[in-house]
Amino acid sequence: MTAGHGRLHFQAELKSLEDQALGGLDMVISTLDRTLEALEHQDIELASIVVHDDDRIDGRYLEVQQGILSLLALQAPVASDLRTVAALLHVIKHVERMGDQCVNIAKMLPVVGFEPPSDEVMLGHIQKMGQLARSQVAQCKQAFLLRDVAVAEDLVRQDEQINKLNRAVFARAVEVGTDADRREWAMSMMLVARALERIGDNAVDIGEQVAFVVTGLFREFSDASSPG
Amino acid sequence: MSAEHNEMTTGGAEKQGEPQHVAPDVRAVVREQGDRVAAPVESPARTVKLQGLHAYYGEQHAVKGVDLTYAANEVTAMIGPSGCGKSTVVRCINRMHEEIPGARAEGRVMLDDEDVYGAEVDVVSVRRVIGMVFQKPNPFPTMSIFDNVAAGLRLSGRRVPNLKDRVEQSLRGAGLWEEVKDRLGRPGVGLSGGQQQRLCIARTIAVEPEVILMDEPASALDPISTLKIEELVLELKKRYTIVIVTHNMQQAARVADKTAFMLAGELVEFADTDTLFTNPSDSRTEDYVTGKFG
Amino acid sequence: MSSVIAPIPAGRKRKDAIMRGVLLAGTLVALVPLVLVVYYLLKRGVGALSWDFFTTDPTGSFLGPAGGVRSAIVGTIVIVAIAAAIAVPVGIAVALYLVEYGKKSIFANVVRYFVDVMTGVPSIVFGLFIYIVLVLTGVAGNFAGWKGSVALALLMLPVVTRSAEVVLILVPNSLREAALALGAPRWKVIARVVLPAAFPGLITGSILAVARGAGETAPLLFTAFAVNETTWDPGKQMNSLPIQIYNDVRQAQSNIVERAWGGALTLVAMILILTLIARLIQRRSRVA
Repeated sequence: MTAGHGRLHFQAELKSLEDQALGGLDMVISTLDRTLEALEHQDIELASIVVHDDDRIDGRYLEVQQGILSLLALQAPVASDLRTVAALLHVIKHVERMGDQCVNIAKMLPVVGFEPPSDEVMLGHIQKMGQLARSQVAQCKQAFLLRDVAVAEDLVRQDEQINKLNRAVFARAVEVGTDADRREWAMSMMLVARALERIGDNAVDIGEQVAFVVTGLFREFSDASSPG
Repeated sequence: MSAEHNEMTTGGAEKQGEPQHVAPDVRAVVREQGDRVAAPVESPARTVKLQGLHAYYGEQHAVKGVDLTYAANEVTAMIGPSGCGKSTVVRCINRMHEEIPGARAEGRVMLDDEDVYGAEVDVVSVRRVIGMVFQKPNPFPTMSIFDNVAAGLRLSGRRVPNLKDRVEQSLRGAGLWEEVKDRLGRPGVGLSGGQQQRLCIARTIAVEPEVILMDEPASALDPISTLKIEELVLELKKRYTIVIVTHNMQQAARVADKTAFMLAGELVEFADTDTLFTNPSDSRTEDYVTGKFG
Repeated sequence: MSSVIAPIPAGRKRKDAIMRGVLLAGTLVALVPLVLVVYYLLKRGVGALSWDFFTTDPTGSFLGPAGGVRSAIVGTIVIVAIAAAIAVPVGIAVALYLVEYGKKSIFANVVRYFVDVMTGVPSIVFGLFIYIVLVLTGVAGNFAGWKGSVALALLMLPVVTRSAEVVLILVPNSLREAALALGAPRWKVIARVVLPAAFPGLITGSILAVARGAGETAPLLFTAFAVNETTWDPGKQMNSLPIQIYNDVRQAQSNIVERAWGGALTLVAMILILTLIARLIQRRSRVA
């Protein structure tokens, strides 16, 4: 992209909008960290903080959406600028969904509650999934920032791992489910795993947007949506 | 047959007492609500192909080998920064370029399968088939509205069985009839800028060309008039092939089926308007449409 | 913070006033001779005007009734009309050539140069030229009214061409382009678009030329000569007002001199009427 001497004001506004949207991903990362920590230490207070803080992410969503509407109405962007704006709309939507998934996880904690009979194996899987999800969110932010399609496509690799772990959690839940005490806990953990897997999917979707902005073509990173 | 014809005559006024003439060019149906006339196409609009077009102003090489096809019944926009040659290319199509002292053109401009620059071709006859609307509205100041519209026919030496009908049809086609039908005898220059431009369009289509060239037709007009002209272009393309030079990219986006981007005398990119504005292939096009230069 | 609203500095006020005063004075100075001329014309010439003045020919006798200036009026009208009929179309044609076809070519520039030169040629030279070419050679008789017309036409031609050229250039090129783009051959563009648009200006230019020609004495001296009888036949010698005035003003009889003033007044009045008619034509044809 040649550095231009035209439309500086517009370019600045577009950059600021992008920063806001990608900043949302940072917010997701910190929320996810907190969620994982709450999960690890059964910290119900931390969990409720996560739930309340989701308002911030929702607020960011509205800000970015409004910014996009203004930019479209006032500046009539075209070509790659237009694709960027359209992509940002998708990105911020995924950000909001990721935030909601974190809330879903945090809400599971009080249910799981006091003295949970826990399964080390399952916990291990979920920890790993948490790390993978976190890394995916960070990576998709990098991919968008750098407009790097290769980095975006690499998200699929990590997503495959998350999917595998999700399946493992499911299988383990089935095993553990015979035990009446642990059944409820296992089902809740399955939902947690599912939420983490969804976070991973959203990150891959953001990766697809990166490819769209760069190439002008939208295509699914088909491996990610292959059925488990 | 004559009853049917009566129904279809423009104007809607009773014509009892008038001789039942058959005016083959007045096969028009008037819609109740608008000024617009949806006329069945007499002869289909033609395709214009530029092949290796070069144009010079004296020593200056303004257009450097352009190959381009303007499809029939489509609107093609020519965009590009000032001095890129887009107006020159368009003026070569109806051979107005050579009216400038010292200017000349080389190459071929094919109107279907006839070369406009052929050795035996009469320039005047070319311009009867390829009409032009200019940037600044230029109605003839000494003529009334009616005479202005009829001027094209009179100047090009065409006889029309019913001139009044043709004038009305043209004014309707230009979306101007309702506004001027009661003052056809008034001077053409007494209209507002937007109306004058529509008058010039009426004058151009009265001659029934097949191709209409528009050189920044709305750039001298206010926004409302601009939108009216754009609406008009979208209507007109049903009957004509239209080439529109414009500085305003949003206008090209709103109006054109295909867009050509020129830079420094060369054709850089030519694509569907949609594609050119969402995903242009050439980086120069990308830079221009996103406003990085120009 | 200094105020934006300040009174006009006194120095500037003074300069404005001085400038206005100077220009006004200049205008008045220029007007004075004009006013004086009109005043004198009226004062000295009105007395000569009478029914007889307009309806009888000069008798040419030194004693007895002097007669009127009918033949002179008739002669002026006929000679100038024919001259205009020659000069105006030809002059406009030359201007059309220069503007529409010649443009900046070398030939056109040469033509322009010579037209300019012609405006400076003293009118008596034209008279002499026609005298030598048409009168002495005895073409179609000796002195004749139409020969005077030719001499006047030569005089009027460059004036017509010059003013016509200016007016034609003022016709916006966009009109020519519009007509060409409609598929009009060049001659039609000129005839149907350029000329009508330039019409008011062309009329004015022609009137100027006619006014110039109507007042010239010298060319007529050698070509139309002067007779006393009224004749409408340009093939014969004709009287004309400038010559009549020229002759009369040198006479001893005061009534003849007065007749000269009357003639001058008449000539000016005729040109005035012509100008008014031209203005009317302009106004009618101006589609504003």
